[in-house]
Amino acid sequence: MFSTVIEQIVNGIVTGSVYAIVAVGMTMIFGVLRAINFAHGEYYMLGTFGAWFAVDYLGLSYEASIIVGVLSTIIVAYVVGRLVMQRMVGAPAEAGVLATLGIALVLQNTVILVFGGGYKFFSGGYIEPLSVLGFSLAAQRILILVVCLLVFIGLELMVTYSRMGKSMRAVSQNVECCEVVGIDVPKVVLHTFILGAALAALSGVLTAPVNVSVYGGMGELITFKTLPIIIMGGLGNVRGTFFAAMILGIAESLVATYVGLQFRDTVGFATLILMLMWRPYGLFSTQARF
Amino acid sequence: MTGLPILEISKISKSYGAVKAVNDVSLHVGRGEIAGLIGPNGSGKSTFFDCSTGLQRPDAGTVKLDGQDITGWSLNRIAREGRMLRSFQKTVVFKALDVEENLVIAGQMFTFPSLFSTFGIGRLSKKRISGLRDRARELIKMAGLWDVRHQPAGNLSGGQQKLIQFASMLMPEPKIILLDEPMAGINPKIIERVIETILYANKSLGVSFLVIEHNIDVVTSICQRVVVLDQGKKLVEGLPHDIIADERVREAYLGG
Amino acid sequence: MSLADTAQQIRRRDLRLPLAAILVVVALAAPFIGSRYVTHSLIIALIFMLPAHGLNLLVGYTGLLSLAQAAFFGIGAYAAGLLAVHYGTPFYVNATAAGLLAGACALPLGIPALRLRATSFVMCTLGFVIIGQAIAKNWISVTRGDMGLSAIPKPHFALGPLSFTVSGTTSFYYMALAIGALATLAVWMIVRSPAGRNMIAIRENETLAESLGVPTWRYKLLVFIISAVFAGVGGSLYAHYLTVVSPLTFQMYYSTTMLIIVLGGGAGTISGVVFGSLLFVGLTEALRITPELRMIAYGLCLLVLVFWFKKGFAPVLNRFWDMIGGAK
Repeated sequence: MFSTVIEQIVNGIVTGSVYAIVAVGMTMIFGVLRAINFAHGEYYMLGTFGAWFAVDYLGLSYEASIIVGVLSTIIVAYVVGRLVMQRMVGAPAEAGVLATLGIALVLQNTVILVFGGGYKFFSGGYIEPLSVLGFSLAAQRILILVVCLLVFIGLELMVTYSRMGKSMRAVSQNVECCEVVGIDVPKVVLHTFILGAALAALSGVLTAPVNVSVYGGMGELITFKTLPIIIMGGLGNVRGTFFAAMILGIAESLVATYVGLQFRDTVGFATLILMLMWRPYGLFSTQARF
Repeated sequence: MTGLPILEISKISKSYGAVKAVNDVSLHVGRGEIAGLIGPNGSGKSTFFDCSTGLQRPDAGTVKLDGQDITGWSLNRIAREGRMLRSFQKTVVFKALDVEENLVIAGQMFTFPSLFSTFGIGRLSKKRISGLRDRARELIKMAGLWDVRHQPAGNLSGGQQKLIQFASMLMPEPKIILLDEPMAGINPKIIERVIETILYANKSLGVSFLVIEHNIDVVTSICQRVVVLDQGKKLVEGLPHDIIADERVREAYLGG
Repeated sequence: MSLADTAQQIRRRDLRLPLAAILVVVALAAPFIGSRYVTHSLIIALIFMLPAHGLNLLVGYTGLLSLAQAAFFGIGAYAAGLLAVHYGTPFYVNATAAGLLAGACALPLGIPALRLRATSFVMCTLGFVIIGQAIAKNWISVTRGDMGLSAIPKPHFALGPLSFTVSGTTSFYYMALAIGALATLAVWMIVRSPAGRNMIAIRENETLAESLGVPTWRYKLLVFIISAVFAGVGGSLYAHYLTVVSPLTFQMYYSTTMLIIVLGGGAGTISGVVFGSLLFVGLTEALRITPELRMIAYGLCLLVLVFWFKKGFAPVLNRFWDMIGGAK
C-alpha cells in the first residue's frame, strides 16, 4: 500500500517534469508578452511529430529524432514568431488570447490534414527499466527527470548571467522602460518565444517513448494541462511554475489511482478554479498582477 | 456654512506592507465650502482620496457623508446613493463615445431607481432619458462644448476632456465633488474656464468641493481652507495665504 | 441645380426598406429556394446564432472575453435532451428549462469568476467547459457518459387543442427562424435600453463607469447570466435538431466558433452577429468543408481579425447599409 503511494508520487514527479518543461516556456512568454499562449501545446505536438517522422519515415535513431523534432519546431516557431507573436507586443490581453487560439487551430489541423487524425505508434527511446533505490523505473523516465532539472538550472543561470536572459527579465518587468533604454523588445520576444517552443518540443520528444501514441490533438490536451499550472505558479514566475507543475503531476497521478482514471484530466482546471477563489493571484505571488 | 459638515473623515489610516501611506488623517468639508488638499508627491493625497471614495478600503477610520456613515461602501454606491462624485487624474472620459452620450451615461444611475429598471425601453424609460438629454445639453452649453457635442470625446483636447468630465459629474446633482488634480496638464486658457465652472457649481448649484491641486495660484483663488499632507500625516490646516507663508509647508515641499 | 446634382438626387432614394423586405421574404422562402442541405445549413447557423448573440452582449457590449459559452450551450442541450427523453415534455418547456438552468448555473460560476482579472477570467471560463465535459462523461447515471443521449424526440408543441410535432427540416427551419428572430429582438431591446448604455460604459472604462454610480459588478454578473440563457436556449435547439447529445457538446471548438461569429461579424453590433452566423457557420456547413480545413480557416480568420480587421465585417455592412440608404 505504502509503496504504491510512493510509486504514484514518483510517477507524478515524472509527469510533473514533463509539464514543467512545457509550462516554463509558456510562463516566460507571458512574462515578456503579457499574453497567454494558447498554442503552446501545439509545439509539444510538433516536436513529437517531427521525431516520429524522423524515426518512422527517415529511419533515424531516437537520438537523431530528438534533434529533428526540436529543430523543425524551432523553424515553425521562428515563422510564427515573426508573423504573429511580435505583433502582440503592447496589444491588449484579449488580442493575445484570440491570436494564439488561431495559431493553435492552424497548427493542429494542418498536422491532422497532412498526417491524418489517427493514432500513430512511436517506436524508440529507452524503455528498459532501471532499478534505482529499490524502484524499477524506465530509463526514459529518469531521462525526463534529469532533463527537467537541467533545463531549470540552465534557465536560472541564463536569466542571471547571460545578456539575453537579463533582457528577458527586464522586459518582463517593464516594457516601456526597456524601449527607452534601447532593448530591442521584439527581438527579446522572438527569442523567448522560440526558446519556449523549443522546450515544449523537447518535452514532447522525451515523452513520446513513454506515451507511445502520437496524434494531432495531443497538443491541445497539453495546453489545457499547462494553462492551470502557469496561473497557479503565478504568471511569469519560473520557480512557481516548477512547483505548480510538480504539484499537479503528483495530484493527477494520485487521482488517477485512487479516484478514477477518467478524472485525471480535470484535476488541473478543478484545482485552478478552487485556487482562484482562495488566492486569485497564484500560489506564489502575493499581489495582483494580471 | 453652519451646521454639520457635508463630509467628515476621521482618523483614516492605510498601509501597504510596512509603508504607512496615510496615517491617522482627519479632514472635513463644510456645506458649500471649497476645501483644498495639497502636499508634495507621495504625501498620501491620492490614497487618502481613494480611501474616502470607496476605491480602496481604509485600514482604520470612518467616513461620514451628510451625517451618514459610508465607510466600506463601494465607489459606485457612494456615487449613486451618497451623491459624492470624484474625478481621476488619468481616467477622464469615455473616449469612443460622443460628448452628449458621456453626460447621459453619467446621469443614468441617478434617474433610474433600480438596476432592473434600466432594462426598460418603454415610454417611462424614454421620458427619463430625454430628460437627461435636456440636462446634458444645458451643461454642455455651459461648458462651452456645444459645437463639439456630437464628436467622440477622445478626439477633443485634454482641457476639453476635463470640462466634459466636470460636466458629467454635475449631471447627478451632486452634494460634493472630489477633484484629483483638475488642472494637471491643461493650458492656462482652459484653467480659467475650469475655475469658472467650479465657482459656478459652488455658488449656483450649492456643490461643495474637496480639491487636490498642485497649482498654488488656483488653490489660493478658489479654496476657502487648505489642508496640507506630508508623509501620510496632516501637517497643517488653515487659510490659503497663511498656508503659503507657513515655514513647515515650505520645508515639506523643498525638503521632501 | 446642375445636372450632377439631379443625378445624385435620383440616386439618393432610400432602398433600405425594400432591401429589408426582400431579406425577410428570402428568409421566409429559403426552404423553397435552396436544397434541403441549404436549409440544414441555415438551421445550424441559426442554432449557433443564439449563443453568439449572448456572447456578443458579453464581449461586444460589456467587454468581457469569455470562453464559457460552450459550457452553457452544453448544459442547455443536456437539459432539453433529458427532459424530452424522460418526460416527453413539449419543446417550449424544454427550451425554457434549458435557458433557465444555464442561467442558474451561470450565477454561482460567475460570482467567483468575475472577480478575476482579464487573463485569469478567460482561463476560468475555459475551465468551465473542460469541467462540464468531464461531468458529462462521468455522471453516467444521468448523462449516460460517453454514449451520450440519443433518440431525442423531435420538438412537439401542445397548446390546448393545437398540438403538433415539428418533424421535417423545413418546419424545424421555421421554428429556429422564429426563435432566432425573437432572440435578435431581445438583444436589440437590451442594447437599446439604458442598461445597454451602461454596458458600453463598462466596456469603455470600468473605473470611470463605477465612479459615475454604475454598479459594474452587478451588471457584469447579470450580463454573464443573460448570455448563458441565450446559450442554453441555443443548446436546446441543438439537442432537438441533432437528436443526439454527447459530452463533446462541451468543447472549446464550439466556444471558438461562437467567438469567430461575434468577432468576425463585428463585436458590439447585432447585424454583425446575424451575418457572422450565416457566413462562418452557415456557409462553411453549406460548402461541406472538411472539419480540418474549416478549423484552419477559422484559425486564419482569428489572426486576420485580431491584427488587421479589428471590427470584423460590421464597418463593411454599415457602409453598404448607408449606401443603399442614399448617403454618399
